[in-house]
Amino acid sequence: MDLNEKYVGVVLVSHSSEIAGGLARLVGQIAGPHVAVRVAGGMPDGSLGTDGGEVLDILRAAADENGSGAVVLMDLGSSVLAVRAALGELTPQELTRIEVADAPFVEGAVAAGVTASTGADLETVAAAAREARDVCKL
Amino acid sequence: MFASSDVVVAARLPAQVALHARPAGQFVKLASSFPCSVEVAANGKRANAKSILQVLGLGATGGTELELSASGERAAEAVEQLAALIAALVE
Repeated sequence: MDLNEKYVGVVLVSHSSEIAGGLARLVGQIAGPHVAVRVAGGMPDGSLGTDGGEVLDILRAAADENGSGAVVLMDLGSSVLAVRAALGELTPQELTRIEVADAPFVEGAVAAGVTASTGADLETVAAAAREARDVCKL
Repeated sequence: MFASSDVVVAARLPAQVALHARPAGQFVKLASSFPCSVEVAANGKRANAKSILQVLGLGATGGTELELSASGERAAEAVEQLAALIAALVE
C-alpha cells in the first residue's frame, strides 16, 4: 500500500468517474492528505456504469493486511450490487478490514474522511459515515 | 483539581469566514484530538464538535458567536484551543 496505512481509508463507488473523482477531491481537501481515498466509477469505455472487476480490485487493495481497512460508500443501484458481489469474493480476513456504510454518498464520504483523518478506527469511521443519514443540512 | 468539570466559552468567527467545509474540517479535527466531549452551539442549534456534518449543519456564517462547551478530561484546554482556532480562521 502506501504511506497512509495507519489511517482508515475511504472507498467511493459510483456510476460515474467524474462523480467519484470529484468527491475524492472534496474529501481530500477537507480531510487532508493522510487518508487514502480510492475510487471506482464508470465503465472502461467511459460510459456510465459500475465495473465489477474494478470494484473488486479496489476493495482488495483497501483490505490489504498492512492497512487499517476502509469504509466503502456507494452512490446507488448497480454500485451497490457491484459492491455486494465483490464482498462475496473477499476472504474472511479481508472482510474484517472492510465496512460498507449505508449512507448518503457525499455527506457520508466527507464524514468518513474527516473522522479517518483523526486516526479513528474502522468502526468509528463507519459510524461517522452512517450518522450522515440523520444529520440535517438546514 | 476539577479535571472533569464543564467548561463553556464564547468564540466569534472572523467577519469574513463562515464555518464551511474546510474550516469546519480543521475545527472537527482539533476537537477530535481531545478525550473530553465537546459541543458547539450557534443560531439556536447545538452540535457535537467532533461531527463534521453536525458542525456544518449549524450554518454559522462569518461574525457568528459560537458557544463552545466541553466536559471531561482536558476540557479547559480543548475549549481554549478551539476558541483560538476559531478566532484565527482565515478564508
